[in-house]
Amino acid sequence: MVEDQATLKKLINGNQFLLVGKSIQRVDSIDKVLGKPIYTMDIVPENALYLKVVRSRLAHAFLKHVDLSEARKYPGVAAVITANDIPGINESTALLPDKPLLASGRVRFAGEPIAAIASYDPSIAEEAVDLVRIEYEALPAVFSPVDALKSSAPSIHQNGNIAKHMKLRKGDVEEGFKQADLIVEETYKSQFQEPIPLEPEAGFVVPEPDGSVTCVGSIQSPFHVQTGIAKILSLRPEQVRVIQAVTGGAFGPKSDEIPVDVLGMAAVVAVKTRKPAALAYTREESMVGHTKRHPFVTTLKAGVKKDGKFTAWQATLLADTGAYASLGPLVVIRACFHATGPYVIPNVRTDAYCVYTNNTMAGSFRGFGGPQAHFAAESHVEEIAKKLDMDPIEFRLLNILRPGTLMATSQVVDEACGLEECVNRAVKESDWYGKREQFRKMSGPKRRGLGIAIMYHGNSLGPEGSDYAAVHMQIDKDGIISFRTGLTEYGTGAPSGLLQIAAETMHLPISYFKLEPPDTDFCSETGPTVASRTITIGGRATQMVAGKLHQRLRETAAELLDCNADEIESTDAMYYQRSKPGRRASFREVIEYADKHGTELKEAGTFTAPKCEYNPETSQGTTYLQYTYGAVTAEVEVDTETGHTQVLRMVTAYDVGKTINPLSLEGQIEGGTAQGLGYALMEELKHKDGIVLNPNLADYYIPTSMDIPEIKTIIVEYPGHLGPYGAKAIGEPPIVLPAPAIVNAIDNALGVRLHEIPTTPDRVLIACKRARKDQRPK
Amino acid sequence: MSKHLLKFTVNGKDHAVVVQSHERLLDVLRDRLGLKGTKEGCSTGDCGICGVLMDGRLVNSCLILAIQARNKKIETIEGIGSAENLHPIQRAFVNWNASQCGFCIPAMILASKNLLEKNPNPTEDDIKKATSGILCRCTGYVKIFEAVKTAAQEMRS
Repeated sequence: MVEDQATLKKLINGNQFLLVGKSIQRVDSIDKVLGKPIYTMDIVPENALYLKVVRSRLAHAFLKHVDLSEARKYPGVAAVITANDIPGINESTALLPDKPLLASGRVRFAGEPIAAIASYDPSIAEEAVDLVRIEYEALPAVFSPVDALKSSAPSIHQNGNIAKHMKLRKGDVEEGFKQADLIVEETYKSQFQEPIPLEPEAGFVVPEPDGSVTCVGSIQSPFHVQTGIAKILSLRPEQVRVIQAVTGGAFGPKSDEIPVDVLGMAAVVAVKTRKPAALAYTREESMVGHTKRHPFVTTLKAGVKKDGKFTAWQATLLADTGAYASLGPLVVIRACFHATGPYVIPNVRTDAYCVYTNNTMAGSFRGFGGPQAHFAAESHVEEIAKKLDMDPIEFRLLNILRPGTLMATSQVVDEACGLEECVNRAVKESDWYGKREQFRKMSGPKRRGLGIAIMYHGNSLGPEGSDYAAVHMQIDKDGIISFRTGLTEYGTGAPSGLLQIAAETMHLPISYFKLEPPDTDFCSETGPTVASRTITIGGRATQMVAGKLHQRLRETAAELLDCNADEIESTDAMYYQRSKPGRRASFREVIEYADKHGTELKEAGTFTAPKCEYNPETSQGTTYLQYTYGAVTAEVEVDTETGHTQVLRMVTAYDVGKTINPLSLEGQIEGGTAQGLGYALMEELKHKDGIVLNPNLADYYIPTSMDIPEIKTIIVEYPGHLGPYGAKAIGEPPIVLPAPAIVNAIDNALGVRLHEIPTTPDRVLIACKRARKDQRPK
Repeated sequence: MSKHLLKFTVNGKDHAVVVQSHERLLDVLRDRLGLKGTKEGCSTGDCGICGVLMDGRLVNSCLILAIQARNKKIETIEGIGSAENLHPIQRAFVNWNASQCGFCIPAMILASKNLLEKNPNPTEDDIKKATSGILCRCTGYVKIFEAVKTAAQEMRS
């Protein structure tokens, strides 16, 4: 590892890459544009049973009696399962052992699975679901994290309603507030955002003659599914084979317990009936049953000097994790570390709580606490700048993280920090000063505004778990290089990026490589495909294994050419002796030689990232090994008569360390930007008494092609020390900034601050009305 | 439940299948004809992912009863091109890395083909309108717009 930034940058810029940094075609593109049968429900075995799930209609209740007799008798029903049919442990969880696969005795959210019915004809199973009679005894329920923390609140789990309390303590905030000339305090609220992978959850399980099972599904993390299903069926993990089918979007919920729910129910039916069993969620089931973005209530209090320097920052974050924790405890850890935004603040006190309620479950979703933390922080920073009567760019630049400064965690910002360049380039590209001046003079019902927000994002898992990835590579006698890993493709393009890295490392054309589907029988435990870690961590594993395989090829070529292996160079699939370049052997000749002499050309290995050391009581220390930085501007037009906000143009500048595939990188940024735009303007999964009011795509809006503004992407490269070639995480970051940038732009347009997202037309109109009232002379 | 003989053309090939009144075109395509390229995303006509062309019109096959396709010409993604001979729209989607998870792509390609057959020189706004009935959650649509523009150019020349 090259530690010196200047050397690393020179090395990277000076290096002529074969493939890295080029827009290589994704390896999965052809099948996808042809509509090949590659997704889970396209490949269900013909003789499979189909499951339909019986779900709770109440948010919190004892199940007094579940009468399945009519359903069992219904012609065509092949099996009915409840908690009693589970051979092993009735548990389907992500982190804490708090959630059953099938509820027995008590339900904690409306939509919780209680039983499942299987039939060869899915419509029969669906009809039978309606025949199940459930007698509930309603329990007192709680639907907001604020209420759940009151002493009068009903306890949703044994140990109370706090699943996690994460603290950050830096310096002395009280002293900091004393030094402040101005103190600003506000509360910001964000909503349940639905991930909406366009393929709803799906999976099927095939019982094997030896008692083992094969699970195929739309999943992010095969090994999590493997241990989950093994527990449910009381099998050893190696008796559960998990294969990932091509997955039609994921964004988080397919990484944790949700695929275990889907495949777990199917597995119980499969082992009971000895028939393949499939379960595909409907859109409504997906929206109710899977995890979504945690709503946060965030109260921020910040102190600044007259000159604009921060003296203190205090944050209280309440995250509604719903009825079961899922990865909520880890979401609040990340939110806690990022709660100040990317600023230098001497005294910080943050308390982040993951709170149980009787709402549906929140969990992993792209950004993982970052969007909520930055929405609040970047709204607050704008408020402070306004109160100081300072230009928001000037105020930010006065306080931003730069190399050598300290984060809230007291981690020293290293040289790989391109935040300032991101800000400056976004300001320039958006014509910040010109446009803001122009917009200030506008009159009439339609007003325009330009807003900015800036960020940092700790890469990969950091404190959220042990951070490793395994890669296997093997060259067969036809010269095809099989590449296997448990890291999955669900749309990101990152596994194609891994092939690019492998090909780069081995100086071979990418067409020689074949990406095999993730299959627990054929690769080692890889950890989950989450936290934008495929390129960073998986890329390092790929470099390592491809490097070893490359060395094997050089050794084989050396044998063939009768020289020392360290004398062998290679280029364009040709191996030659350095001192006598005329002595050469093609890749094909080397493969044939290896085959003839029984030399196996295969390598495997696991890369493990160094551990992050920090004090869990104060969150002081190294929390992540590398950071992505970014700045986003949004230009909006708000109709003050209808409250409608149209985003006209966005500039997104990210320090990505090193680009692996420019087109795929832009695709990630544009896609994340669109999801962030939806989070800002329109997306909210609404609950009433714990029941989801809009579990469909007619009432829950996500951006369509008509909502997309011009998106200008600027790539900044300050190579990091963790990822291959200095690459940083980019899967998640683009969803973080659109919301605060758009809210700040609305403020610029109207002079109105919205403290709650999404900024739907009704909220904009109410805020306009309030502003007019405030302006009226008393 | 009454049964009907459904005669229709799918991707230029004549088919005759016996269907029940309530069967959806989507299920007949996927389960009877084995054309799995047409996807199901919501079953309520909101996401557009099950889109196919029926007599040159983009329809949600989850909202069309199979029997409504009687004597009609249906085009699905399977009829658009092959691995050896990609349609220019398919090639442009590949070259722009415009498919990410890929689930909306069959419908997106059919919507684009429908547009370009009627309007060989579309503006970006025309492309946005033509694809507005199909949701994509991965790409932010930008690379899809670019791919359609590139395909239009290629198909014109």
